[in-house]
Amino acid sequence: MIWLTQAATIARRELRGGLSGFRIFLACLALGVAAIAAVGSVRVSITAGLEREGSVILGGDAEVEFDYRAATPEERALLDAVGTVSQVYDFRSMAATGEGREADRALTQVKAVDDLYPLTGTLTLDPPIPVAQALADDGAIIHPVLADRLGLEIGDPIYLGTRALTLRALLTREPDAGSAGFGLGPRTIVSTAALEGSGLVSEGSLFEVKYRMLIPGATDEQLDALEVELETAFEGSGARWRDRRNGAPQVQRVVDRLGSFLVLVGLAGLAVGGVGVSAAVRSYLDRKTGVIATLKTLGAEGRVIFAAYLMQIGVLAALGIAIGLVLGTLIPITVGPLIEARLPVPVALGVHPGPLFEAALYGALTALIFTLWPLARTEQVRAASLFRDATGTSRVWPRRRYIVALAVAVVALVASSALLSGIPMLALYSAGGIAFALALLIGAAWGVRRLSRMLAGTKAVRGWPALRLALGSVGGPGGEATAVVLSLGLGLTVLAAVGQIDANMRAAIDRDLPEIAPSYFFVDIQPDQIEGFLDRVENDPAVSRVDTAPMLGGVVRSIAGTPASEFDHWVTRGDRRISFADTPGDGTRIVAGEFWPEDYTGDPQISFAREEAEELGVEIGDAVTMNVLGRDITGTVTNFREVDFSSGGIGFVIIFNTAALQGAPHTWLSTVYAEESAEAAILRDVAGDAPNITAIRVRDAIALVTEALGALAAATSWGAGATLLTGFIVLIGAAAAGERGRTFEASVLKTLGATRATILTSFALRSALLGAAAGVVAIVVGALAGWGILTFVMEAPYSFEWRSALLIVVGGALATLLAGLAFAWRPLAARPAGVLRAQD
Amino acid sequence: MVLSLTDVELSLQGNAGMVDILHGISLEVAKGDTLGLVGPSGSGKSSLLMLMGGLERATGGSVLALGNDLTTMDEDQLARFRRSHMGVVFQSFHLIPTMTALENVATPLELAGAADAFERAEAELDAVGLGHRTDHYPAQMSGGEQQRVALARAAAPRPDILLADEPTGNLDQATGAAIMDLLFDLRDRHGATLIMVTHSLDLAARCDRTIRLVDGRLDAETRNTPDLRVTDAATTGYAKVGE
Ligand SMILES: Nc1ncnc2c1ncn2[C@@H]1O[C@H](COP(=O)(O)OP(=O)(O)OP(=O)(O)O)[C@@H](O)[C@H]1O
Ligand SMILES: [Mg+2]
Repeated sequence: MIWLTQAATIARRELRGGLSGFRIFLACLALGVAAIAAVGSVRVSITAGLEREGSVILGGDAEVEFDYRAATPEERALLDAVGTVSQVYDFRSMAATGEGREADRALTQVKAVDDLYPLTGTLTLDPPIPVAQALADDGAIIHPVLADRLGLEIGDPIYLGTRALTLRALLTREPDAGSAGFGLGPRTIVSTAALEGSGLVSEGSLFEVKYRMLIPGATDEQLDALEVELETAFEGSGARWRDRRNGAPQVQRVVDRLGSFLVLVGLAGLAVGGVGVSAAVRSYLDRKTGVIATLKTLGAEGRVIFAAYLMQIGVLAALGIAIGLVLGTLIPITVGPLIEARLPVPVALGVHPGPLFEAALYGALTALIFTLWPLARTEQVRAASLFRDATGTSRVWPRRRYIVALAVAVVALVASSALLSGIPMLALYSAGGIAFALALLIGAAWGVRRLSRMLAGTKAVRGWPALRLALGSVGGPGGEATAVVLSLGLGLTVLAAVGQIDANMRAAIDRDLPEIAPSYFFVDIQPDQIEGFLDRVENDPAVSRVDTAPMLGGVVRSIAGTPASEFDHWVTRGDRRISFADTPGDGTRIVAGEFWPEDYTGDPQISFAREEAEELGVEIGDAVTMNVLGRDITGTVTNFREVDFSSGGIGFVIIFNTAALQGAPHTWLSTVYAEESAEAAILRDVAGDAPNITAIRVRDAIALVTEALGALAAATSWGAGATLLTGFIVLIGAAAAGERGRTFEASVLKTLGATRATILTSFALRSALLGAAAGVVAIVVGALAGWGILTFVMEAPYSFEWRSALLIVVGGALATLLAGLAFAWRPLAARPAGVLRAQD
Repeated sequence: MVLSLTDVELSLQGNAGMVDILHGISLEVAKGDTLGLVGPSGSGKSSLLMLMGGLERATGGSVLALGNDLTTMDEDQLARFRRSHMGVVFQSFHLIPTMTALENVATPLELAGAADAFERAEAELDAVGLGHRTDHYPAQMSGGEQQRVALARAAAPRPDILLADEPTGNLDQATGAAIMDLLFDLRDRHGATLIMVTHSLDLAARCDRTIRLVDGRLDAETRNTPDLRVTDAATTGYAKVGE
């Protein structure tokens, strides 16, 4: 092992030279590691916050939820036996400033609570009065956004359905907001008593009732046991269980997804950084060729040299990773409060070792992968190279053991990212994508160099010295072409992919949906209101189409004798909205069996949605038993319908014949397709005449989705931005490294009679050429990645978005141009004598 | 007069303040003349040559080349002036590494707007015995070959003035002599004015005049009579060297 000691000695002496040549190396590695560590830390902070505050977010240690009904006295008794129980109604409704057609109305998510609310956490109100005081005597608490929208102030009357309430306070912080997920309207909180006579939670209307339980000292095991116990007791009742460990499943899901996705983007950034690392190591070792050859002349073995330089790079990599980890820890702590303010859940800020380890691992592997190749070549440096010019060195393959080591490192990186990201398939595809992009970029760099070389030699460019010079330096030996094309190209590829996905999603929402989607969903129309409702909307010339359907809640009990609990499908889980009809209705296709005749009164029959029937294995002739408002009804499936849920219209999985549900309490659902200009008047009239009807404006819902997508796109853009920033650093590194060469060239050219304009043009052409090459590859790979993600992950149609693509090519060319020109000043300004004499 | 320098001063910013390099140099060079610059190392020979080529700006006095005052011209005017009137051969060649020999030689012709730049460049490389190496990059050529490419590049536009800094400095004797012949050939056939820095007494002896610099001042001037010139045909055939 004496050779290792020798290597260490050499390494130590070489490192005394300082870090000046390694700024880009350190920056690339630190930035990549910092981005991954920061994203991971934020994700873990949110998850930890969700865990720590689980019961506050849920509003209790556990919750049992019913759809469209409250618990029966027997059910309630079972719950009361468990612990302290608080009952919360949750539903959508319209909040109004008054009664009749003149009032302003807005959609709101209402929570009607009992005296115990909130069981956990505290509500923050403005003015700071106790909750009980705010809710007493028909008081209401609303979210400031709703107050703004309706122009309400404290003390003003506010109407829910037919009930007049008084606005007492604004809701500054709602501890259990996260458990509701992302709602369509701002929050209103009233007491359950205030709902009486509002006509809002009658039988058949859409609402949820939650029973939140405080179980002092309950362990997770006890909660598990309780879940099993209650699920058995409530079998077939449609009750759903949730406990403090899963307080905000929607938020958790979004955070997990986004976090994983951003880590993948971060890996792409690290790959870009790897290019910079590789370029830095290459140029360092190029400068060391003399030293290496001298050491060999003095008798140092190849492995000693390799180990000596590996140690140096290792020390530097450790430093870069350490800087990255510090940044990656500090960034979330500084921006954490900003993130917390935008999320309905608390964030546990702090140092989380998991993501830091993950980032360090990725950083170390990336550094190894991108430096092994040039390092391995040091073994091949022959003593004779002391006496030959360094440029145009022959390309030799490193020895096999280094290639094997390289392969192992690549596999380790891909495998660890697949395992640690939690989205293994996407991680594998991303790794493949990055590798493909890198390969394509290496090919492109090679191609651009070959092409430039060829063009430089053709007659076409003769007489255009600036162009020929640019082509010559792109294509000639020892250029910066490869590093620039690789780093910028990879950065732009990530940006292009994100751009393509974002543009496609937006286009899909902006363009496709509103054309076929209705203007309004009206829900909770009572049977005695449907006539007046239809009278109003069907006689409006601005309305092109009105669809209505009766609706009621039901729970699937069994299908063809098999209990619902044995299926794992959303249709058999909890309450389903079902309907009844005499005819299939316009635009519905019967794909198997036969729909019952119009005045059919025989045994109950069921029409099932084709896709769901296939998924559940339902066949024509199967008996399906449903519990509809406490009564079991068994029907025979006699036909399958093709239902398109994505078109935004009405679609039910299960439809009975009308006679089968005769007398069951129900409400009507209606979709109205109207011109945008007529929408406001329709809402005013419909809700003015029947205040219990809830109107969901599709345009608003779409705006919400667009906004959410915008936030996602913004988060992703930040990730892509970090990648691009790394690319830009590499670019600047390459430009700075090339500055000496350009200064020399400019001086020689001046001597030969070139003006500064000619020289500058040549530099600009060279940069633009490389930038454009990187941009074109970025578009090809970015479009492919965008297509892949949209088609296979998001299952959405893809179309090439040329505007985003064009921006990226132009941006790429500009970025290189800028970096190139930033380092053109000194070469242009230098007096030839100073430069050329120094070279003597 | 092709070149006339009057009271030229040159001070440069060194590490420890201003360094005075040239003091009150005045000299004139006539068309077709060959002038050798000799002197001890550090005496300012290269600096003077740079001044003559407009590659360095004098801090005092005037440098007139073909009647134009180089000290009042800006960088671009100087570049355009050199384009048509001056060729420079540097001691360490200074070929552009990303260009082939042919491209290096063609560049000044292209910059001067010559339509047949590449044809002329090829002929020029032929003339220095490198017709078979036009597509080679500088890194692929030996020192002597690079030196000859540099000479071809400087000579290709047929400059009125050719400035050469130790053109045979690190060449073996035979190659050095061949390069020298090329230079004098240029003078003889095209009437160019030659100014070269040299440590070689042989070369100095072949010049019409030699000027000796010591500590940035003109120390002595020698006029060589034509019959004193060393001409030894046996050692000067460059065709032999190029093989
Ligand atoms: N950029 C500079 N800044 C300060 N002093 C300089 C600079 N360049 C050269 N000098 C000094 O100017 C003096 C003249 O240099 P020059 O290169 O002209 O000498 P030289 O006669 O060509 O020498 P040699 O025969 O060794 O090539 C030297 O003392 C040198 O140290
Ligand atoms: Mg000199």
